[in-house]
Amino acid sequence: MTMQSPEKPSSSPIRKPLNLIQAINEALREELLRDQSVLVFGEDVAKRGGVFLATEGLQSEFGKKRVFDTPLSEASIVGAAVGMCVRGLRPVAEIQFADYLYPGFDQIVSQAAKIRYRSGGGFYCPMVIRTPSGGGVRGGNHHSQSPESYFTHTPGLKVVMPSTPYDAKGLLKEAIRLDDPVMFFEPKRLYRSFKEDVPLDDYTIPFGKAATRMEGSDITLIGYGGVMPDVIKAAEALKAEGIHPEVLDLRTLIPWDREAVLSSVAKTGRVVLISEAPRTSNFMGEVAYVIQEELFDQMLAPVVQVAGFDTPYPYALDKVYLPGPNRILRAAAKSLGY
Amino acid sequence: MFEAFTNQPIRLIGEDGSRTQPFELDLGVDELLQIHRDMIRSRVCDERLIPILRQGKTSFYAQSTGMEATQIGIAWGTRKKHDWYWPYYRDNGLILTLGMPLKRWISQLLGSNDDVCKGRQMPQHFSDPENHIASICSAIGSHIAPAAGTAIAQKYLGTDEITICTFGEGATSEGDWHAGVNMASANKAPCLFICENNQYAISLNVRDQTNSKNIAVKGHAYGIPGFYVDGQDVLAVRAVVKQAAEYIRAGNGSVLIECLTYRIGTHSSSDDDSRYRSKEEVESWRAQDPLVRFERFLEKEGILPAREEIEAYYGSVLAEFEEALSTSDASGYPTWEILFDDVYSDLPDHLAQQAIYVREENL
Repeated sequence: MTMQSPEKPSSSPIRKPLNLIQAINEALREELLRDQSVLVFGEDVAKRGGVFLATEGLQSEFGKKRVFDTPLSEASIVGAAVGMCVRGLRPVAEIQFADYLYPGFDQIVSQAAKIRYRSGGGFYCPMVIRTPSGGGVRGGNHHSQSPESYFTHTPGLKVVMPSTPYDAKGLLKEAIRLDDPVMFFEPKRLYRSFKEDVPLDDYTIPFGKAATRMEGSDITLIGYGGVMPDVIKAAEALKAEGIHPEVLDLRTLIPWDREAVLSSVAKTGRVVLISEAPRTSNFMGEVAYVIQEELFDQMLAPVVQVAGFDTPYPYALDKVYLPGPNRILRAAAKSLGY
Repeated sequence: MFEAFTNQPIRLIGEDGSRTQPFELDLGVDELLQIHRDMIRSRVCDERLIPILRQGKTSFYAQSTGMEATQIGIAWGTRKKHDWYWPYYRDNGLILTLGMPLKRWISQLLGSNDDVCKGRQMPQHFSDPENHIASICSAIGSHIAPAAGTAIAQKYLGTDEITICTFGEGATSEGDWHAGVNMASANKAPCLFICENNQYAISLNVRDQTNSKNIAVKGHAYGIPGFYVDGQDVLAVRAVVKQAAEYIRAGNGSVLIECLTYRIGTHSSSDDDSRYRSKEEVESWRAQDPLVRFERFLEKEGILPAREEIEAYYGSVLAEFEEALSTSDASGYPTWEILFDDVYSDLPDHLAQQAIYVREENL
């Protein structure tokens, strides 16, 4: 039933090792080059190049009309993006930290998410809100939160969180081209944690397609965003024990890849869902619900979930709070031992 | 040239219809009479909707009677189908004068199949891309920053359009109002903010809404001109709006205008205004009817049509209204089939699953 655009693969053999933030920068640069209706703006994005340097060099390359700094107001940044869409532009707004989405929450939920529906399709919002998200950088309460579940609860928004440089570039380019408002969460602790070869030409990755990071038949581990390197570490540890885990990276939450999840879990009969957002009303709860609804009699063990705890994000206790490989392994053991 | 930040509202026509100061009228007789007809059209529809509501054909309505000079004046001071508008839910007179067809408006009130919004919004939450009228959102003040964005886009595109954003005085207390006006002014965006100060945000009087002397002075905080206008005087509103629009079009950035007016009716169909204001107050404003004032002006100018002609026009609007109402009603009402359209540009899997469920329930 979906009408997702197909994957547009890279046609160039030229690859360059990029980290995730460089891949974001490259995607923005290519889209600014490709389409005059794309504008990039937010707090400190222009002269400073963004506090994480995601937008470094873009103003000098594309000028002050296309890449600009805004007043310190998330409501205005998001609201202005909505109004630009009404006049035919494709804004890419940066919210400096996902923790600061809240002053713009009404603009996202009341305006951006609903304008297509409430106007009967007369107006729509082809906009992207990019924002660094998640913990692991000693940012305390207000520089570490993972608020993506709030946005998955709002019809009209698409929600993305890549975990690799290749995906970050391809998904961001797809987000900019889609005619829907996209919440693009960037796991900030992975910004510079590793590099991979990224094609230097145009490619896009469709929303709603999970990536299989490891193939196996004993247990399925499913995650997205910042937790993925730890999920893979845990999977490798299982493999060393002779257990064959399958690892899925959801990449996009709205829409999410029901089909890939259900076919993997139907194969393994065991699943661990991993995210770092607080446990209660975590988006993975919806994934768990669909798994039990569709596969109840094929399951060999209950769905196990690993998430952040239901506390504000603790500055000094990063390591206790975040689900590392050990917690994932403990969850896998619970499933395997059921 | 009108001055910003005057202590008294700018006015061109007095209560008795005479000019309060000498001024050269840049409107021909035909245009003046069209303004008159636009005011009547808005009034007739507004009054006709009360019985429609009582019959249960629609669930909600926000009256604009008493505010015609403000709303029609704004339309006449800007460029229809050229400029872009982010209005608020009470702007009946404005949208009709901008060219939104009566039937399109009525269809939105009914939520019938003829409604371009597909019955998705409660009444008075219109949307009309063809006439550059952006979609209404109930969250008060949430359209201010979007209006700033539309204006920023116009500047980027190098057009000579401007964006007109209207709101009640209650909206000026919202954080997003300040954020949005600041965004527009900091970007020198071609945005005209117009407060239709009808003095009540449901029950709260403007004196308790803000400690500012009036709304126009808030322009000081954002470094933009703030004009204080008599909102019962259609020529004053139109002239100040036109001057501001030209100033904005010339690249000078944003402007704030306050039109001091009054809502004669209740806030909405579900409001009882006797709880918060006196009959005497309402009657004193009813006596300052903007339509009557403009008719006195036309009479003094010697161009007021004969009473029979005016009444014939009333009759023609009523006929147009009844025709729109009955044909829109006859178009039928949306069913489950459109529930999942327009959430996204496509139909994601989870919605497709839900659509299957609803189809089963309705077959």
